[in-house]
Amino acid sequence: MERAHWEVERAELQARIAFLQGERKGQENLKKDLVRRIKMLEYALKQERAKYHKLKYGTELNQGDLKMPTFESEETKDTEVPAVPQNSQLTWKQGRQLLRQYLQEVGYTDTILDVRSQRVRSLLGLSNSEPNGSVETKNLEQILNGGESPSSKQKGQEIKRNSGDVLETFNFLENADDSDEEEESDMIEDIAEGKEKHRINKKHKIGNEGLAADLTDDPDTEEALKEFDFLVTAEDGEGAGEARSSGDGTEWDKDDLSPTAEVWDVDQGLISKLKEQYKKERKGKKGVKRVNRTKLQDMIADLGDDEIPHIPSGIINQSRSPSSRMTDHEGARAEEAEPITFPSGGGKSFIMGSDDVLLSVLGLGDLADLTVTNDADYSYDLPANKDAFRKTWNPKYTLRSHFDGVRALAFHPVEPVLVTASEDHTLKLWNLQKTVPAKKSASLDVEPIYTFRAHIGPVLSLAISSNGEQCFSGGIDATIQWWNMPSPNVDPYDTYEHGIPTSVDFIGCDPAHMVASFNTGSTVIYDLETSQSVLMLSSQVESGVQSNNHINKVVSHPTLPVTITAHEDRHIKFFDNKTGKMIHSMVAHLDAVTSLAVDPNGIYLMSGSHDCSIRLWNLDSKTCVQEITAHRKKLDESIYDVAFHPSKAYIASAGADALAKVFV
Amino acid sequence: MVMAEGTAVLRRNRPGTKAQDFYNWPDESFEEMDSTLAVQQYIQQNIRADCSNIDKILEPPEGQDEGVWKYEHLRQFCLELNGLAVKLQCPAIDYTRHTLDGAACLLNSNKYFPSRVSIKESSVAKLGSVCRRIYRIFSHAYFHHRQIFDEYEDNLIVPILEEEVQNSVSGESEA
Repeated sequence: MERAHWEVERAELQARIAFLQGERKGQENLKKDLVRRIKMLEYALKQERAKYHKLKYGTELNQGDLKMPTFESEETKDTEVPAVPQNSQLTWKQGRQLLRQYLQEVGYTDTILDVRSQRVRSLLGLSNSEPNGSVETKNLEQILNGGESPSSKQKGQEIKRNSGDVLETFNFLENADDSDEEEESDMIEDIAEGKEKHRINKKHKIGNEGLAADLTDDPDTEEALKEFDFLVTAEDGEGAGEARSSGDGTEWDKDDLSPTAEVWDVDQGLISKLKEQYKKERKGKKGVKRVNRTKLQDMIADLGDDEIPHIPSGIINQSRSPSSRMTDHEGARAEEAEPITFPSGGGKSFIMGSDDVLLSVLGLGDLADLTVTNDADYSYDLPANKDAFRKTWNPKYTLRSHFDGVRALAFHPVEPVLVTASEDHTLKLWNLQKTVPAKKSASLDVEPIYTFRAHIGPVLSLAISSNGEQCFSGGIDATIQWWNMPSPNVDPYDTYEHGIPTSVDFIGCDPAHMVASFNTGSTVIYDLETSQSVLMLSSQVESGVQSNNHINKVVSHPTLPVTITAHEDRHIKFFDNKTGKMIHSMVAHLDAVTSLAVDPNGIYLMSGSHDCSIRLWNLDSKTCVQEITAHRKKLDESIYDVAFHPSKAYIASAGADALAKVFV
Repeated sequence: MVMAEGTAVLRRNRPGTKAQDFYNWPDESFEEMDSTLAVQQYIQQNIRADCSNIDKILEPPEGQDEGVWKYEHLRQFCLELNGLAVKLQCPAIDYTRHTLDGAACLLNSNKYFPSRVSIKESSVAKLGSVCRRIYRIFSHAYFHHRQIFDEYEDNLIVPILEEEVQNSVSGESEA
């Protein structure tokens, strides 16, 4: 009966182990998959960037030449042109479909995608609310409605959406300043060249986008990346800010769209009307441009309240302020908001920084080195904004935790770690990368991860050794304290060690180590010289009842790297000292197992229990070879300890009944 | 420490139990104690509950065999006296040690006290001589090392009270 009970329990536990292992494997696969995908996306991104750069600065002329005739004879060659975009639409759709599928696999449903695109649209719609834009939209709509086939209509929408995304992508990839500036320089350039030329340029851009199959990846890439942004509010805010900052670009985008749409439009009247409006708009734009920008900023501010409550003003400023202007309007800008980040260099590092945060939040680990750089753009921009590389310092963290004046501080030589010494008698250790999100804002707070307490009275001075492993502090108590620096990753709210220690033993096959068991059910191997924990032996069964996790005794195998624990829940468990994994677990007694002993040769295990019995086990087969009822109960206790003689054939047990017994 | 497993209270002092949680569990009535060591449990429980409640400590539960009752009390008395002996650093140390060792051996003798549940009448007679001997340690400490005696009585959970000795002595006379 008992036996059967044990068997059932054992089977259950084994099933659970199998389940957990399977689950873990699944998680690992998912992670691998995600890494692969991200690498894929990054690759696409890089390709796209290279293409974009080439298009813009390298082979633009060539392509322009190629395209020029097409445009000029636009009205007459209606029939020719659509052929290309239709193809491209196919690839567009295919690419989109494919990526959508990927995203779905990763767990992003259509709904989320739709929500995102909806958001993009709403952003576009917002920029449309400017006078020019609204006219534009109307035109576009007219055109779309006028378009004969639903496919062309669809395509128009598709392009509208995608081109918006593309622009967003650019903003996202480069830092906002750069992109804005480029847009602007583009504009200026284009304006100088003339409206028609501008149209041509822009149109080619779109056309090329349509042609390039790889390009189809882009909006989705960007969407995917933005999905990740969601995970960090700050990131999110930034992304959104950028999206909005692309407002200017978006308008241009619309300009581009209308001619593109014209291609399929047969209504000549409409086209001419559109042209008229376009010209008007161009004229207006030159003058209104600045106004629009400020309007946009207002809009962003308004939006910030409604839609995304977590936009740090610094980020918004940063993302929407082109550096070239910054230098011009530094004074005026400074009034706007305190945490302004001026240079593009700063913006870049900020973006990188928040990426780091993002990665650390995601816990991606090996993904951390997947960073996206913008070499091409940088090299191009270099002469344009030299000033931008001058570093300006902006407040990032305020460390609040001291009760009195902070007398001294020192950085770790390598790590982003800071130590502060205060008149509140303490020193505190801060890990600047270990941030906790502050309530109701997107800013991050740093909390001290360790407090050094030893000084009696204010701490006045502080120094950290060059290897960062020790620090020294001088106090008004006329002492210098010499500290070992805790790891920057210690958890300040971790329980003191692992609970209340219940039993200790030296490791038989490794005299430099010892093992300790705890009332919480954990078992830890310590290095005797450093007194640091080396390995935690993980027991998989976690009982809700505290007393059931209780370990009463831990012993080490005399010759093998195996640790054996006796549990209050009647179990004896075996652990591998190398891996920390549990090798075997068995219900060994009818009541709490209180004591363990291994014979000097490591062949037999003896266990004592409050069920009044001593049992002898074959360590190899884990089977019980003998049971002795040895002691009587006092209260709910019976056997307290058991022992093997190290060299002679004796065993002994100690009990609650005031007796010790020896067996031969 | 009070440990609940289901509804039942497990009266256990597990490894790692804090000093203040030692024996910190609800009392059990004598009738509920099904252990063969119930008398010791009961005496210790009463001492832990209120060591100044001499009447309660000394009053045997109804129907309790008097020999066993005296025997268990004497065991407890010797047990407590071990603590006092540690503090007595005087020329009488050897006498103290020998007397206590002899008492412990006798009280745990398999010949005279093979069981803690029932005690032969002849063995009950031995209790008197044990009491007489250990009383000498007790009185020595009381009269010659009053400060140590008082300190010990104040600081320890179970004060050694004259009444208890009287009881033991009376037990001796009865035996």
